[in-house]
Amino acid sequence: MKIVTKNINIQDHVFTLTNQRALFWKKEKALILSDLHIGKTAHFRKNGIALSNQIFESDLQRLSVLIEYFQPEKFVIVGDLLHAGDNSDVDKFCEWKNQFPDIEFHLVEGNHDRISKKLEAKLCLNFKLTELEIDDITFVHDFEKSNPKFQITGHIHPGIVLNSFVKKIKLPCFALSDNQLLLPAFSEFTGLDTRNLPKKARFYVFTDAEIYEI
Amino acid sequence: MEKGNSPFKFQIDTWQKFGNGYSGMVVAPTGFGKTFSVFLALISDFLTYPDKYKKGLKMIWITPLRSLSKDIAKAMQEAIDEIGLDWAVGVRNGDTDPKVRQQQVKNMPEILVVTPESLHLLLAQKNHQRFFTNMHCVAVDEWHELLGSKRGVMVELGISQLFHYVPKLKIWGITATIGNLDEAQDVLIPYDIKKTKITAKELKKIDIISVFPDEVELLPWAGHLGQKLADKVVPIILESKSTIVFTNTRSQSEMWYQLLLNAYPDFAGQIAIHHSSIDAHLRIWIEENLSSGKLKAVVSTSSLDLGIDFKPVDTVIQIGSAKGVARFLQRAGRSGHSPFETSKIFCVPTHSLELIEVAALKEAVRQKVIEPREPLVLCFDVLVQFLMTLAVGDGFFPDEVYERIKKVYTFQEIRDEEWKAMIDFLTIGGSALKNYEEYHKVVVMEDGLHKVTSRKIAMLHRMNMGAIVSDAMLKVKFISGGYIGMVEEYFISKLKKEEKFILAGRVLEVAMVKDMTVFVRLSKGKAFAPSYLGGRLPLSSNLGHFLREKLSGALNPKASEKELKFLHPLLANQEERSHIPKEDEFLVEMIKNREGYHLFMYPFEGRLVHEVMAALIAYRISKLAPISFSMAMNDYGFELFSDKEIPLNKDNLAKILTRDNLMVDVISSINSAEMARRKFRDIAVISGMVVQNFPGQQRSNKALQSSAGLIFKVLEDYDPNHFLVRQAYTEVFNMQLQEQRLVEAFKRIEKSKIILKFANTFTPLSFPIKVDSLRQTLSSEGLDARIQKLIQQAKRK
Repeated sequence: MKIVTKNINIQDHVFTLTNQRALFWKKEKALILSDLHIGKTAHFRKNGIALSNQIFESDLQRLSVLIEYFQPEKFVIVGDLLHAGDNSDVDKFCEWKNQFPDIEFHLVEGNHDRISKKLEAKLCLNFKLTELEIDDITFVHDFEKSNPKFQITGHIHPGIVLNSFVKKIKLPCFALSDNQLLLPAFSEFTGLDTRNLPKKARFYVFTDAEIYEI
Repeated sequence: MEKGNSPFKFQIDTWQKFGNGYSGMVVAPTGFGKTFSVFLALISDFLTYPDKYKKGLKMIWITPLRSLSKDIAKAMQEAIDEIGLDWAVGVRNGDTDPKVRQQQVKNMPEILVVTPESLHLLLAQKNHQRFFTNMHCVAVDEWHELLGSKRGVMVELGISQLFHYVPKLKIWGITATIGNLDEAQDVLIPYDIKKTKITAKELKKIDIISVFPDEVELLPWAGHLGQKLADKVVPIILESKSTIVFTNTRSQSEMWYQLLLNAYPDFAGQIAIHHSSIDAHLRIWIEENLSSGKLKAVVSTSSLDLGIDFKPVDTVIQIGSAKGVARFLQRAGRSGHSPFETSKIFCVPTHSLELIEVAALKEAVRQKVIEPREPLVLCFDVLVQFLMTLAVGDGFFPDEVYERIKKVYTFQEIRDEEWKAMIDFLTIGGSALKNYEEYHKVVVMEDGLHKVTSRKIAMLHRMNMGAIVSDAMLKVKFISGGYIGMVEEYFISKLKKEEKFILAGRVLEVAMVKDMTVFVRLSKGKAFAPSYLGGRLPLSSNLGHFLREKLSGALNPKASEKELKFLHPLLANQEERSHIPKEDEFLVEMIKNREGYHLFMYPFEGRLVHEVMAALIAYRISKLAPISFSMAMNDYGFELFSDKEIPLNKDNLAKILTRDNLMVDVISSINSAEMARRKFRDIAVISGMVVQNFPGQQRSNKALQSSAGLIFKVLEDYDPNHFLVRQAYTEVFNMQLQEQRLVEAFKRIEKSKIILKFANTFTPLSFPIKVDSLRQTLSSEGLDARIQKLIQQAKRK
């Protein structure tokens, strides 16, 4: 796995984009992710659709490598940590997370995160909130028009279609506008939405080898 | 059998053979009472040997069309009442009232009319075997329509199950003439029982009449002729009692509906439009009014190819190419329905070259050359669905079912490891999944019975049975209320907010899209006709053959060949600027103009084959020198276009067109993974990997949505040998690449003399291809301007 990074400035802070669907904020030593959808494959299996959980395991592995690389002190999850409540994938996640007891865990709730008290205890979250503010930056799952502050959001699973001479390629991306940074979905087992993207945004499209600005 | 008429010989033959315990297939044209051949056979057998028959269901009648069921059942019931029997004929399909369905379960009618899907739904019921114990016959109507599709495979599997319950069961098929009747019978009745084929001698007379434009244009282009010819279509409709206007796509039907209304405003209220995206109630209303003769004309797509006889219809108009002989005959047969009437079909070309196609069709009809319907093999997705159906019903024992499956035509070649993979898939999720605790789609009971125990899984399966997969369709409703029809999500996703589109003959403006519904308001002015992904049928290889033959002799037509005579100026133009290929020739044109370099080839093999050929030729040329192309194709030929000079000449052309290394080069030239991914869409839905219909709108179900593309990627990454992935690749080779047809085409080209011509402007043959390619990339307004420019250029020479 190759980690490619690109620094951008938001409100005078330096953020690092990666081609591994994650964002790093050096000043806060925070690894920022969105839309992990943990438990999606298990939920599918539960309903009779045969899908391997290797997909989920490779997501976790990717996250481990990122931790190794950035040495973060906290996670900020911008929503949709879980896909459909508690299941065996969630057990695996908790097991995995116990390797990093020192990393603070902030969850900004997403529409998929219906978390009972019992489940919350199991996940050992440090903080669970609907909105997180650090300095003048708001972390929220879906963009709020009424909020004038700069927002870092998820939810959309943004993607961009590149038209080449012969065919079309669809790739995940970050989207940066005047008041929003939209994160790609961290999980590989998610679709891409190429329509509901912020207007007048710059897009950072990435592949296994490179990040491109469009 | 029409009342008062004496029966046809094939009907009497059928009754006799049936009485003697035979199964079989009846081959007869529509309108000759083929329904009554098999149906009355059962009645007459009953009247002769009433003791053989016990209470309950005696015959299952499978028809491909839901809308047909009611009318067939009505006709049967009338005949039964007239004879004075106390039998009941029931209909069971998606439209049947749940109350009626419950009554049927308690007390089955003597004859049950079903679709392949509703038959499988019966098999998904608990304790269903009791319905069938006293059954004598299963009959499959319009077998030619089902054969060659996954619904046909559903019929094969359904029959195998019924045959298992009733070993003495008679299996009868009814079909129109197709090119491979014997094979069709083997697919329907693969069992070692007494069987026969009964062919009607009666022939349907057909009048094929071309509609000529006033003048022949030297450069034909697709779609443009419509407006001019609408004025000629109006009098045909006015002089007929009732007319069906067949088009090839839904967008074309919307366009022609408008054209006819514009050409003759008095048609308002007298003509209607009928295609599969129009609200079912409206369609039924249209069909009823066509039956009763209240409608003067209906513009339709293949949605009216089959179905009840519309007695008043005495004229059929085909817009554009019919693409195949069988389809053409089917459509022609929709007029003049009763046995001794003549079917009248008018052919309206959408570009003048299509007139050659009419000449070719006439020849094919004269020689009675009709396309075969190739049966599908090893459709694992349908088999997985069927096994789930059995597991949802009473459960099954794999070893015992396997013996039966191996007898079904489609699965004769199945291998033991494939069977095992399928059972693993259902019970533990497949080898790559090992044993996950939460996965219990099908549970193995202590005695080895394989059964579904989860109510939710059973319900999801029942709601998603069937082999017709459509793109996500959105309902279209007026913002003020009122349902209009459906459009594909793909089309709406491309529309911007204020843009307008046409549906059911109305111009609509999108107000908002919410909950899988497009809310619209009535509007006026320019609008897009929805494009639908399906429905682009390629030219059949039979028709391609006759087309080449007609073109070959086109400059010296016989006196009777009006189409060729009419086209003479255009054909002379082609001969002058380039060449008209003879039967043993293969034409290649290289055209250089201001845009760049164009290479045109004309195999006349249909759009699909040309798609593959274009990629292949591009690949082979790029091995000579680095160059990139854009491609375009129609049913006659294809174009490669580049801004660089194409390194082709007389000497290396033969090498580019060789049959050596054909499939190896094809595989290198196309992105087969991408094609397989597209094929996997249907497979994923049919096999239950992607769930289309959810019970209710519960939130927990929404979390089950995913795209087939995503699942395909996961399977390819972690389980590349998965039988469903392999099926996707097989389908690519058989259906997309049409390996067999491709090889045949190259064999022919190898034997042909290759003619290479150079030109500075487009030729009559190349122009329609060029226009089609523009169509794909430019918006409609820009297109017209662009075409005008091209025409000016061509005129200047």
